Amino acid sequence: MIQVSNLHFTYGRTQKEAIQNMCFDVAEGEVFGFLGPSGAGKTTTQRLIIGLLRNYTGKIEVLGKERNQWGKDFYEQIGVAFDFPNLYTKLTARENLQLIGSYYKNKSENPEELLDRVGLLPERDVRVENFSKGMKMRLNFVRSIMHKPNLMFFDEPTSGLDPVNAHIIKEIILEQKKAGKTIFLTTHNMTVAEQLCDRVAFIVEGKIVNIGSPKNLMIEHGKRLVNIEYQMNGDICEQSFELTDLGDNPDFLNILRSAEIKTIHSCEATLEDIFIKLTGRSLL
Amino acid sequence: MRLQHAILADMRFQIKHGFYLVYVIITVMYLIILSFLPEKVLSVLLPVVVFSDPSVLGLFFIGGIILLEKGQGVLMVLVVTPLRSVEYILSKVISLSIISVAAALAISWFSYFPSVNWVLLILSTILTSGIFTLLGIMINAGCNTVNQYMLKTIPYMLLFIIPCLALIGFPYSWLFTIVPSVAALKLMLGVYHGIIWYEATALVVYLFIVNYILLRFAVRVFESKIVYQD
Repeated sequence: MIQVSNLHFTYGRTQKEAIQNMCFDVAEGEVFGFLGPSGAGKTTTQRLIIGLLRNYTGKIEVLGKERNQWGKDFYEQIGVAFDFPNLYTKLTARENLQLIGSYYKNKSENPEELLDRVGLLPERDVRVENFSKGMKMRLNFVRSIMHKPNLMFFDEPTSGLDPVNAHIIKEIILEQKKAGKTIFLTTHNMTVAEQLCDRVAFIVEGKIVNIGSPKNLMIEHGKRLVNIEYQMNGDICEQSFELTDLGDNPDFLNILRSAEIKTIHSCEATLEDIFIKLTGRSLL
Repeated sequence: MRLQHAILADMRFQIKHGFYLVYVIITVMYLIILSFLPEKVLSVLLPVVVFSDPSVLGLFFIGGIILLEKGQGVLMVLVVTPLRSVEYILSKVISLSIISVAAALAISWFSYFPSVNWVLLILSTILTSGIFTLLGIMINAGCNTVNQYMLKTIPYMLLFIIPCLALIGFPYSWLFTIVPSVAALKLMLGVYHGIIWYEATALVVYLFIVNYILLRFAVRVFESKIVYQD
């Protein structure tokens, strides 16, 4: 769906090389996460693929054609939700969807159904200027998918949402994936990346430092240990055991049999740990 | 079809933000003032008032509209929809022309001026509105605040409005016809005072060409300063 190779990009005004020799691909039906701290080049890469930045060198093949060969028809097939809500504030939620929907050839999804899905149906005729940030973000999100695009770009899709609404958005993203849609997700929320992405790329200072599935990366960079917290003879104790031959470890088996287990955890790394380990930088 | 939707969207946007209300208030104010003027003064002032509507007012209105769109972030969204830059710009030109024509017709009708060439009035209002809307779009492309827009507009305004004064008794005023605003005002004066058909045709063709050239420039400026951020 997207193939990027040897991509370089320098901003004309600042002469800052924002993207350096970037290579990655996104398969059809995949949720691909782009992770990195602010200023790492996530948004620049997304804008290059969307077509809001030109004059790159290298290759960006998207939807079967080099990006700079695409005209405006490209936008019939993609959906974009930016990280802040861009809405007509004097129009209602329904009018916002109808207005933008009218620019697409594809018949839009029923606006009322979409609004209902994100809990905004009761406010469908309320002007957006009276919405909270969370409500605006939800409306912003459904507007990006209403014309049924094949490829979607979401920038921090759960930013500003409470856990219940963030869960609804994540569910919709997974539904889109199930329907065979491809999703390019930009975030520095590790939980979102872990829950949604098939693969993630870590980006720092315009370069990709690692790509892989969250699960594999977490195992690969984790410790092969299990931590056990238990109560024995009135005392709370904690002990670590190697995962190798754990089932034959007499001490571990003894604790399981004779102690009261409080917690038990494997020690895979978190995505944040991996990022810090690979780049020496924090994600925020 | 997209253009039609964009025009309707723009009209709705302008109504909701009170632009139509402002137009109605200004038109009523003009009518009240004009109703007190003797016919001799009215014959000079009426064309100037009708001309100022799509030009000076139009320039400020397009500035306000685009700044509001920028402030709400909707321009960011529009550039990632199939709506073409030329459609976005044409929709602004057409929607503001419609309101300008309505105001020009209302002012001319209710002033009870004895001889008005209605077809020429509509044509000259559309052509004048187009020029100033396109100019406003180009000026606005690089602005983020009202102050910036105002400051940038003043030189253009002087450049376009001062030569119009040449029409009041300056012997070589025909030389200034090359300035689009002068050509537009000449046409507007012809609406009320009569104009030879070939002069009117030449002015309409000239203003149409100016509109076309400005449209091409406006698309280029809009794309380089708003669509692409490189």
